[in-house]
Amino acid sequence: MTRILTRRPFDPDKKGTKPKMVTYEVDLNKCGPMVLDALIKIKNEDDPTLTFRRSCREGICGSCAMNIAGVNTLACICKIDARVNKTTKIYPLPHMYIIKDLVPDMSNFYAQYKEIEPYLKKKETVNYGDKQYFQSVEDRAKLDGLYECILCACCTTSCPSYWWNGDKYLGPAVLMQAYRWMIDSRDDFQVERMAKLQDPFSIYRCHTIMNCTKTCPKSLNPGRAIAEVKKLMAAFKGKAKAASL
Amino acid sequence: MAAAVFLRSSRAFMLGPRAMTRTFIKPRHTLGHPALLTTTIHTSPQHDQQIQTSGFLASSHWNAERVLATGLLLAFPTAFITQCPALDYVLAAGVTLHGHWGLQQIVTDYVHGDMIPKVAHASLYGLSIAAFAGLCYFNYNDVGIVKGILELWKL
Repeated sequence: MTRILTRRPFDPDKKGTKPKMVTYEVDLNKCGPMVLDALIKIKNEDDPTLTFRRSCREGICGSCAMNIAGVNTLACICKIDARVNKTTKIYPLPHMYIIKDLVPDMSNFYAQYKEIEPYLKKKETVNYGDKQYFQSVEDRAKLDGLYECILCACCTTSCPSYWWNGDKYLGPAVLMQAYRWMIDSRDDFQVERMAKLQDPFSIYRCHTIMNCTKTCPKSLNPGRAIAEVKKLMAAFKGKAKAASL
Repeated sequence: MAAAVFLRSSRAFMLGPRAMTRTFIKPRHTLGHPALLTTTIHTSPQHDQQIQTSGFLASSHWNAERVLATGLLLAFPTAFITQCPALDYVLAAGVTLHGHWGLQQIVTDYVHGDMIPKVAHASLYGLSIAAFAGLCYFNYNDVGIVKGILELWKL
């Protein structure tokens, strides 16, 4: 038997209810090894109203991102603490608006992702289907460690700068994707992409705290990506002149 | 006809920016609790404006911070080795500006609101000017920063 303690922030169907913590007991001999297995077991057997997001159960969709034992991670690839007298505390992603239980409102996060235009942009007129844009092996290799991000928001919601300025600071996940499109050899809008970050908030609220890199369940390095963007932007004026903006 | 209109509008709804940036199913309770969900989406401040490519950009500020920090690493040993009075003034300016920019970041991070940040930034300027004036006064009327620190060390 182990105990899983999760937060039930409020009952959204009843007005004025207060957040509370609820403890569930789970028999580990009758449960899968991961925290998500325990949550599904609790939902099936103890409390069908317990609410959380889940989909792929193998760490590739990013739905079940939550704060387990103080660390933002994916419930589906996080092992249950096997020490039976320990209680595992589960909270939703920190400092997010909560829809219910472990389900955070991701609207702001997705809107910020949309802001960086995460797709290939060309200056020439493109006739779709005419030709492929090839990349050298070296240019393709630059995207390794960046494209694997599943946008689970574990890093962004672990960042103190994002806690205090989440309305204007884009956060590590989105900034890493901004970098991914900046350095894509096929993209023509590197300078314009950098120009969009030219304000004190969008990127420069990053103070290299590195919670993002520490917590990433995919072992990526958003902190490094942000540093690389800062280095690119150090030469912004020259690049803007060269591109005659 | 009605079905066609419905299809078209529902597709527009599914693909429109509204659906992409908000939770798909809006729960009933949001009516009674407007503060519980992000009802408006915030984005970075500059995006509707013309692209700024000259003047003191955020990236220039970042560059200046790095240059100053590295410069101070050089300036301190040089000042202590040469004990040149002019370098006391360089240190006074460098240390004050370094501290000012650092505190400015803290104010930007933590002081929120309409009015209070302006007050905080203004008082920070006051503080930094006072610090610089104080250090210059010490350089001019007393032994100077480097000798001052050396004498503290002697105690």
